[in-house]
Parts: sequence; C-alpha cells; structure tokens
Amino acid sequence: MAANMKLILSTSNVMSSGQSVMRRPIYSKSNVELVNGLRANFSLYQHHFSSSNNPSDAYKQWTTQEDNTLFVPVLRPQTLSEPRESYDITVKLFYLPGIPASRRCKHTREAIDLVLKELGVQSVDLLIVSFPGVSFDADDDGEEEMSEDESASADSDDSQGLDAQVKSWKVLEDYHSRGIISQLGLSEFSSDRLDKFLPEVSVRPTVDQINVKDCCVVPKTLIMYAKNNNIELLTHNDCMDILPCGTTRELLGPGDGGAHILASNPDSPDSEPGLKGNIEPQWVIKYTAVVKDRGVVENKGYFAMAQLGESEDGLPSKSKC
Amino acid sequence: MTDYLDANDILGHRLLLMVALGTPLQWDQAKGAAAHVRDWGIEQLLTIWRNNKDKERAVLLWGDEVEYLVIAVDESEQKVRLSLSQAEVLKALAENEELAKHGSMVPDLQGGEGAKNSCTLPTFHPEFGRFMLESTPGKPWSIDFKDLLQVEADMKRRRVIAKEHMAKDHYPVTLTTFPRLGTKDDFITPYYPPSGPALRSQFVPDEIANPHIRFPTLAANIRGRRGRKVELNVPVFKDKETPWPFHDPTVDYDMHQWPEDDDVRNGAAKDNCVYMDAMAFGMGSCCLQITFQAKNINEGRRLYDQLSPLGPILLALTAATPIYKGFLVDTDVRWNQISRAVDDRTREELGEAPLKNDRWRIPKSRYASNSTYIAQDPRLRSEYLDPDLVVDEKLKQRLIDGGMDDLLATHFAHLFIRDPLVVFSEDLKELDVNGSNHFENLQSTNWQHMRFKPPPPDNPSIGWRVEFRSMEIQMTDFENAAFSIFIVLLSRVILSFDLNLYIPIARTTENMETAHKRNALLDDKFWFRKDPFPQKTTPAASPFLRPQASNSEVPSQQSELDQSPKLNGARHTAGGTTSGTPPPGLSPVEDEYCLHTVSEVINGPSPGAPTSTDQFPGLIPLVQHYLSSLNLSVTTRCQIERYLELIARRADGSLWTNARWMRQYVSEHAEYKHDSAVNEKVTYDLIKALVDEIEPREDWSSRQGVGWEMFEPSG
Repeated sequence: MAANMKLILSTSNVMSSGQSVMRRPIYSKSNVELVNGLRANFSLYQHHFSSSNNPSDAYKQWTTQEDNTLFVPVLRPQTLSEPRESYDITVKLFYLPGIPASRRCKHTREAIDLVLKELGVQSVDLLIVSFPGVSFDADDDGEEEMSEDESASADSDDSQGLDAQVKSWKVLEDYHSRGIISQLGLSEFSSDRLDKFLPEVSVRPTVDQINVKDCCVVPKTLIMYAKNNNIELLTHNDCMDILPCGTTRELLGPGDGGAHILASNPDSPDSEPGLKGNIEPQWVIKYTAVVKDRGVVENKGYFAMAQLGESEDGLPSKSKC
Repeated sequence: MTDYLDANDILGHRLLLMVALGTPLQWDQAKGAAAHVRDWGIEQLLTIWRNNKDKERAVLLWGDEVEYLVIAVDESEQKVRLSLSQAEVLKALAENEELAKHGSMVPDLQGGEGAKNSCTLPTFHPEFGRFMLESTPGKPWSIDFKDLLQVEADMKRRRVIAKEHMAKDHYPVTLTTFPRLGTKDDFITPYYPPSGPALRSQFVPDEIANPHIRFPTLAANIRGRRGRKVELNVPVFKDKETPWPFHDPTVDYDMHQWPEDDDVRNGAAKDNCVYMDAMAFGMGSCCLQITFQAKNINEGRRLYDQLSPLGPILLALTAATPIYKGFLVDTDVRWNQISRAVDDRTREELGEAPLKNDRWRIPKSRYASNSTYIAQDPRLRSEYLDPDLVVDEKLKQRLIDGGMDDLLATHFAHLFIRDPLVVFSEDLKELDVNGSNHFENLQSTNWQHMRFKPPPPDNPSIGWRVEFRSMEIQMTDFENAAFSIFIVLLSRVILSFDLNLYIPIARTTENMETAHKRNALLDDKFWFRKDPFPQKTTPAASPFLRPQASNSEVPSQQSELDQSPKLNGARHTAGGTTSGTPPPGLSPVEDEYCLHTVSEVINGPSPGAPTSTDQFPGLIPLVQHYLSSLNLSVTTRCQIERYLELIARRADGSLWTNARWMRQYVSEHAEYKHDSAVNEKVTYDLIKALVDEIEPREDWSSRQGVGWEMFEPSG
C-alpha cells in the first residue's frame, strides 16, 4: 500500500491506565506519559482483535480510515461526567521541530477539534502553546541570548523564529475571539523573549509555563516581568522533543510492542507487511480536565498527528524516518 | 458552596459530645440502658442515612486538628510540668476582645449553641487531658492551592494565639506525650496527689482530666465495665545499664485506697515494661487528624477504604513517642497505649474467662485499627474482609430492613457491638428520631484509625466525611502542615488515578502492630499492594467496529470499551458486593501484595532496583505525577515540593523522625545514665530545646542547631 496518509494517534484517558503510564522511572523523561499512553492504548485494542487470521491487517479492525486519515485507534470520545462549568480544561499544543510553520494553521484546527470532540465540550479554559526550539534556562538569569540552536535556525528554518511564533499566535487569537479558548499561554519563554513577543500580539498570554525542575529557582527578572504583565508563571513537566519520529515508528511498527501498522523501514520491500513510506510526527496536543472544586483529574490524554509519506503541501521536512 | 462553614462542622463530633448535659449514669445503670441506646442509635442512623444517602456536595472541604500539651517551664528549678490550665486558657481566648469581635473562638460549653465563627480565626477546643488544647482552622480548607499554602502559616498563627493566652512561662507544645506523665515527682501544676475516685490511678490524680462531667464518667465507666483499671504495659528500651529484668520502680504495691489497688498485686504490671493504669496515659496523647468532606456517600466509602491501608504507614512515618513515664521505651508510637487506655473489654470479651454473661469475644479495643471495608467497589474482594468480624446481627438486620446495603450495615453493626459509656438519664426519656445523640454515643466512642462520618442532622450543608486518624503530632507546624497536605493530596491522587490499595484488612491490623516497633520505619516491612492501578479490562468481544468504517461515526461512549473512571460514583455502585466468588481470572489475593519498607511505599522502588510492574510505584511519585497534571504556579509547586521532600526523606531515613531524634537527644545528654531513665533535667532540656530552638526555627540548611537531623539531610 503506497500511502500518503495522516495518522491520528490517541492515548484516551491516561489517568485510568496508570500501570503503563507510570512505569519507572516516572519522571526521568516526561514524554514517557505520552509514549506509554499510546502504547498501552494500542495494545489494549490489539489484544482484543488478535484473533484475526491475517495479522498484517489486524490493525484495520481497531482503527478507522476517513479519507486519507487513519485514526489509531478508532476515536471513542469519553465525554465529561459533570456539567462543563465544573471543570478546568487545559490543553497544550506542541508544534514539533522541523515542521514548516505554514502548516500550523491547519494543524491547530485539527488538534483543537479533536480535543473538543473527545471531551464533548465547546470550549477550553486555557491553551498553552509550545514552540519548537524555545527552552528556558533558569541559570541564565533572564539574560540569555538567543540560543545557538535558535539563532542558527532562524535563518534556515522559518519554524523557530519570532515571525512564525507571532503568525501561529494569530491563529490562536482567532479561537480566543470566537470564545473557544478563554485564555492563551506560552511555554518556556524568558523575560527577553516575552518582551519581544508581547508587542507583536493583540491577545496577550496570561500564562508562561516553566519546567518544574526550575520551580524554586525562577530568576527574579522573569518573576518581576511576569508580575508586571499579569502573566502567571506555571509549572510543567514536559520535555522539548515530546514525540521523536524514531519513537513513532517503533510505536507503529512491527517490532515487539508495536502496533503492526507500519513496516519496519520507510523503504521496506513490498514483501514485508505494513504501510511503507516516511513517518513524521507533526503535532501533539495534551488535554487535561480537572474537577475544579475537588481537585480531581478526571480525564487527561494526548492526540498526536503523524504524516506518512508526502505531506499535502509537498514541502520537505527535516526529521523523518 | 456559598454557605459559610465552621471547620468544626466538617471535623466533627466534639461539640455534640460537649453540649449533651444532664445526669450521667454510673456504670451499673448505664449498662442496663445499653441496648436501649443502641436501638435508638440505629433508628437515628437510619434516619440520617435515608435523608442523606443521595446528598451531593460538589466541593472538597477538609480540616486539620492539631493538639497541644500545655507545658509550664520553670527556669529557676530547671523543671517542666504539665499545666492543668486548659480551662483558663480557653477562657482567656474567649474573652479576648479583638478575637471576640470576630465571634467567640471557643464553643460555648454550657449553652449548647456552638458559636459559629464568621471569620478565619482559628478555633480552640478542650480535650480529654486538662493539660491539652486542640486547635482547628476557623473555616475549612478547600483544594485551592492558595488554601494549601496557608495551612502552615495558619498552624503557626494558632500556636502564637494559644501562647499569647497562656501564662508567660507556659507553652503550647506539639509532643504526643509528656515524657514524665505519671512519675513520682510533681509533674503537674498545680499539684494534686494521685488516686482519686474516678481514675483510681496510683500515678495520676483525677484532676488530670477535663472536669466536664463527660470525661470523668467516661474514665470511670470504662474502668467499671472492664472490672479493673485499664492496663498499659509498654516494653522498656533495654539500654546497656538498664537493670534486667526490669521492674518498673515507680509501681507501688502497697496502696490500699481502692479495690483497684489490688490490680498490681494481681500481676497487672509486667516485667520489662513500663506500667500505666489510667485513661490519661492514652487519651492524654496528641494526634494530627485530617477530615475530608466527600462528594457523596459513595466517594466517602471509597476514600475510607483506600486510605485505610495508609494508616499504619503514616503512623510509622510520623513516629514521635519514645518515652513514657520517665523511661525510654521500645516502641516508637502512641497508638496502642491509647488503645489500652480506653479498653473497656471484660475478661470474658478478652478471652481470659469463659463466655457467660457477655455476648461475644472481641478481638480489638474500641480504639484500634478499623476492621471493615465499606466501599461498593467491584474490586473489593471478599477475601479482603475479616471472616470473623463480630457484628450485632439483630441491629444489622434492622439496618438492612431499613434499606441499607449489607456492607454498610455490617460496618455500623460492628461499631454497635460496644456499649455506650456515657449515658445521660434525660436522654432516655424520649427518642428524637431526627437527632444523632444516641448514634454519636456509639460512633464517636469507636476510635478506629479511619472514621466514616454521616452528615450531622443539624447542619444540612455538610456532606459525608472521612477522617484519617493515625498520625502522630509533630514537633513543628512545618511538619504538621506537610503531613496534612500530603494526606489531602493522596486523597486526590486516589480519586484521580482510581487507585486500588486494597489488601486483606487483617494485614492492616498486622501493620499497625509492626508500626509500633522501635525504628520500624527503617527496620521493618509492611504489607502493601504491589500494583495499585485499575485494570483496563479488554473490551468484551462484540462487533462494535466495522473494519475500515468509511464514515466518521464513532461508537457510543457508553460502549463496553469505556472503562475509565466516572467520578460521580455510579461506576462504584454497580455490582461489587463482597459475597460470592471473585470474577474468574483474578489471581490469588496473596499475589496482590507483599512486604514493603515504608520508603518503598512512599518513594517507590529504591534507585537501582530492577524495574518491575510488581512493585508499588510510590506515593510521592504518584503525587508528583498528579501535581504535574494541574496548573500550579511556580511558587506553589516550590512550596509543595518542600513538604514532599520532608516526607520522602523521612521515609528513606535521611531525615530523622521525631522519635529517633528524641532518643538520640536523651542518649547524648550528660545526665542520662544509659539505664533507660529520662530524668527531670533531661526532660527540661528536651522541652527547652523544642520550644526555644526547634519549633521557631525556619532554616536548617547550615546543618547546625539542635534538631537539624529532622530537617536537613547530613549530606
């Protein structure tokens, strides 16, 4: 099967599958929750449908294809059990490194739509966006230069510059104006970066997320800057490269614990079962629904989208495998 | 919830006990009224249950209770004494003008109407010991993290307010027990000689107890029912100079004032033990208790069950009781001493005499670890329950006839095997079916390590509550706040991850015993479940999916794949009774749990241990994972991390428990002769160090100053 296909990967509710998500070491790498959550969800379905005679096609029984989009597994929304106003719903959208910024408008729409559908809601309370290449280092005390990575890539890669960030933000502002997102937030922005960013946007971020390892050593400059600009400094425990493409192939490939959807390599021979072609993760979105007055996390999960084969816009991308 | 609530409403029962005034019956009469009180108590329970079984309270509210010893420090004589000034302190607090502006802080003992505060000033309460004081927050805490961060400051403020209303040389001290309670010297001020009519103790006077009629009656009727004095024998710590065998030198075998003075001549004092003989030695202990309001009865029942296995773990982790009556003992915690101090069982019930007059043998004191599970949870296997649980079958049947389910009826019919201890003759005239006095009479004198509290009939805004009761009070408010917040976070983790911590309840009883051993925290192991996570069961075989469906239709959310938790409790009411065989495919119960160190329970497997799904992942990692799912500000998270760090390091031994530190302090004191005896000067210096240096200190990073080992790892 020569495929140009979008794969929508979902964990469903990771709170109820702690066994696999919490595998040790729990917080060595924060993408463990995503990767293990996907693996656990896939294998749950796989096991149920393992009776199939043709194992190479087994996945078709627990995925659905809709035009050129394959849902892995099939979407089974778990709507919230109490009225909408009981919840704080936060989503975090990760634009991934190496993906052209021109796709973000579409990606944003896809990602948010999936979350709204999954939770059965019309709006979320807070959306935090994570831009690739933006990483805050508390030791720099707020006086950091553009990271080497970033300044170098600013020329060669449009996805990591301020312009691209502002452009992506405009898309989110639109969701804000339509009432679908109540508040917008950023992740890992230093005070310098905020200072460049704020004048460019009309809906100001109300949140800036800092890695939990730095929660006790946030530089004064950033604390003051955030305070003066009514930005709340929140903690997160996500890593930068939340879904590397190698991991994606492992998850979907024929190996041990894989979903047996993809072939072992992009250019595996036709004789090998599984879909062929490059796989490239495009975005990840995390959603969390917390019962406000009781502090209970009722639903938390992830969606990720990966492109198999060529993307529609035909633009080349850096990370594929 | 918009209604203002006094934290005491959430917390409890105390007002009810205090306001019931009248003529208390002596034991011989009270005994005759016992069945009557039980019958009426069950009727009241049924009414409460019927009126509240569908009650929903959307908001988590919780409260802490901190108990203090009031200690007088006599610098000129270099002595510390327990001060019997509870009434004076409470009076001073009540009279304080500024505080009064905001509403009395002391519930009116005589008026019956507990004064409702309209502010967040703390509330102070009397306790059993006349040298004790209890404080609670002025209003209940929520789960808002802004609230959580106020707990420590509020506890500190309570201590300051309490101190301000005491004599200059008096201090509110958060020690579980006064090290020299019951010695031969003048350990109380003002001094009263021992051997009064209520306690008949050869070590402490009746004046040691709160004079409110309830307390002397309680003590006297426990003794009356039991047929002799209560008996506490705590193994002495054998140091290198301890005379062996050890005969408690403070025991007087020649007293002849009361018939009970024969007890010691009949062998009540055991060899190699410190012997104590009165309720005050137990109920005079300070605890740290946490009460939660649950969303509804189902969530309450679930929390009751899931928090239960944590009781012994937290008891060992908060160990703070190494000294009794002037001797180092071989146990680290207070629990069993309280248990024995209120043990009203007769010789027949204890199994020391053939059953003739009494109805049954009873394996535990009324103050003990809990013996039932009550959640309607399909994961509650019949093997977890005690097959020999004693229940009053007649009362259970009455509850079942009234519509209550078997599990809950069993729980209450188990509590109701006891006799009411304090019965007021006025209460026996007419049943107030909408009241709770008879029900509470039994309920609140069952002091188990968990308590399941129905809503109070006189305050409709309160929901079903669960109390966590095993923790020892800690020396500093930092520690007390840390443990309080830890328990609250654990309750949220249990609900969020839908954790399953069930082990056979007999194992929890066993763990409670283990927790008593000296240094059990580091030297012993506790039964704990290996895998706490809910099983995602594979979907039932059904053609719910058409392969390669071409449209976007998704199967209904109610399909059989939907195994994730529903928070409204509906999921837990489905099925799940404990009778019958477990579903096929379940492994033997014995495979579900194994022995863990406290550190393994708290921190997870030690670093370097092989990864295994067979091991409990650790409560702190679970809390961390939960916290990372919330939007917490950097300052909040940083503060919470301080608390979690304290608990994690206490568990792995890099920080010392209060008990370990006190042992070390005594051992290194120049006046200690390594004969287990903790004399007046050592006690004085210990208390002085506590009030002058440890309690007020904020920063231990220099690893200097008395007590740093409890707060800063040695590096």
